[in-house]
Amino acid sequence: MLSKFLSSENGRGLLMVSPPFLYAMLLMAFPLIAIFLFSFWTQDFMTLDTTFTLNNYREIAEKPIYGALLQRSLFVSASVTAVTVLLAFPVAYFLSFHVRPDRKSLWLFLITIPFWTSYLIRVFLWKVILGYNGVINTGLINVGLIDEPLTFILYNVNAVIITLAHAFAPFAILPIFVALEKIDRSLLEASQDLGESKFMTFMRITLPLAMPGVVGAVLIVFIPTIGDYVTPELMGGAGGKLIANMIQTQFLALNNAPLGAALAIVAMLCVTAISLTFVLINRRWLKGRS
Amino acid sequence: MTALITLTGVNKYYADYHALREINLTINAGEFFSLLGPSGCGKTTLLRTIAGFESVSDGVVMIGGKDMADVPANLRPTNMVFQSYAIFPHLTVAENVAFGLRKSKDLDKPTKAKMVEEALTMVGLAGYGKRAAHALSGGQRQRVALARALILKPKVLLLDEPLSALDKKMREQMQVELIRLQRQVGITFILVTHDQEEALVMSDRIAVMFEGEIGQLADPETLYRRPNSRRVASFIGKMNFLDAEVNAVSEEIDVTVQGLGPLKISAEQAPEEVSVGPAVAGIRPETLGILFEGETTNRKLVDGVVDEVVYYGDMTYYDVRIDGVAQPLNIAMKNLIGRPVLDVGAKTRVIWDERSLVLLK
Repeated sequence: MLSKFLSSENGRGLLMVSPPFLYAMLLMAFPLIAIFLFSFWTQDFMTLDTTFTLNNYREIAEKPIYGALLQRSLFVSASVTAVTVLLAFPVAYFLSFHVRPDRKSLWLFLITIPFWTSYLIRVFLWKVILGYNGVINTGLINVGLIDEPLTFILYNVNAVIITLAHAFAPFAILPIFVALEKIDRSLLEASQDLGESKFMTFMRITLPLAMPGVVGAVLIVFIPTIGDYVTPELMGGAGGKLIANMIQTQFLALNNAPLGAALAIVAMLCVTAISLTFVLINRRWLKGRS
Repeated sequence: MTALITLTGVNKYYADYHALREINLTINAGEFFSLLGPSGCGKTTLLRTIAGFESVSDGVVMIGGKDMADVPANLRPTNMVFQSYAIFPHLTVAENVAFGLRKSKDLDKPTKAKMVEEALTMVGLAGYGKRAAHALSGGQRQRVALARALILKPKVLLLDEPLSALDKKMREQMQVELIRLQRQVGITFILVTHDQEEALVMSDRIAVMFEGEIGQLADPETLYRRPNSRRVASFIGKMNFLDAEVNAVSEEIDVTVQGLGPLKISAEQAPEEVSVGPAVAGIRPETLGILFEGETTNRKLVDGVVDEVVYYGDMTYYDVRIDGVAQPLNIAMKNLIGRPVLDVGAKTRVIWDERSLVLLK
């Protein structure tokens, strides 16, 4: 009976999908459920009090620090996303429209070069570039443009944005590039043939058809940057800490896993709400045009 | 007839590839003009040169008396129907058709909507405006592409192999519709095609192109009956070629054709200048005939043996070997009442007439 089921089409499919399914359950669903449960518990010094309570959420709502951190995190993520996508679009456009077809894979390969080094090393490299005695400051002083090192480029929110935007650039370039590659070039000629200039052709044809790639890029950059705590830890200084740093502190330094879990849930809900709103607005906008 | 488009000494090079060679061409207003040729002959390049998508390396393109050298594609009085139709997938049918109207600021919205509906009605798509473009069939896409171009009332409509993606029935239907449309709107149509039948059916005049050059420019009948070279003759329809020897040229041409013997033909039958010496005589399969049992003719006859038979239903194509000619003659016969289909090896007699000969170099 069982062997018969396993040799059927459905059975084989189930057999194939079960290892990754178990893996996903183990590493995704269980931790999520655990976090969700923790957020309704209380830490009682060394032991966990597992009676249901909303106290953690109440504390988050009442103390202004959490709201402020969340707000700053969302601002940083939104800025990083905007900077990354705005800079990635011209790169992807150049790659798709101006690079010879036989050179495209080489260019894509070059774009992935930053990934050859560890994320941590790249963050430290930005420290070297942006630091008080860093490349930019000494360079500008030597050229004579400034007399004193600039201080607004390290250990604050700006530094976090610069570093993250660089780290996520390939994630934004690739989906936009793919969307641009899929555009039939005769559509652009048709638009010009119908009287539109190159700029208007871009606005009326290229950009709307590239939107799925842009939406993909926005989500891919926005969602993980909210959760990043390494860059703000190393680059943010005192004023550049984000919600993820607070979550880490709650879990490790302050030994208050339930509050950390509640913060994580709140952050997750915020990201979900913003992402869904963005996707819906975009869909409506695209529909409104077509 | 007024000249609308003039090309003078147009050349186009891609690196060291010579895509267009010294093209001189005049296309008249209101004409249905075709560029016909095998793939890679430069016909599409020539069309794109007129549209403004390709610059000329050398020479002048004039449209409506204006030099187009510095006029980009979006400012030329031409509109194009692309081979792939290039329907904008993110827009509806109506938005596709209205695409080029954005710049007509003097028209208000209801007027534009009315124009779109009229254009769609003209191509037989009335009521399709709200449909999504990606949900259309091939034939419908083509109609949208036509409406989208014609709504702008261009001086010239350029059609780049517009029918090649359609099936045979649909293609024949669209041929008739295109001719009707062209007469209705009176706009100059320039059609690029590799299908000789399509060109013959639709065009007022045809330019046959080979390797970047115009081989012959003529109306369909002249092109078919008096091709000026072997390559034109064999590209358009079928033609039998027989070796010939020109003996004397005066008002008539005195020529000896292999297998048919010495004969006199009129000078008109030699579109190319011929002189005394070797030449080639061409004769179309349908101008030859087979004398069946019980039929009579007062035309000339030559004995032959059937070499090959291809039965087409309404027609039968025979290859018949005649004395003194290596290549068998291709003969097209209508399967009229009472006519048998001959077997391979049957002895027969071929009917011919020197008036259907064309003498080529």
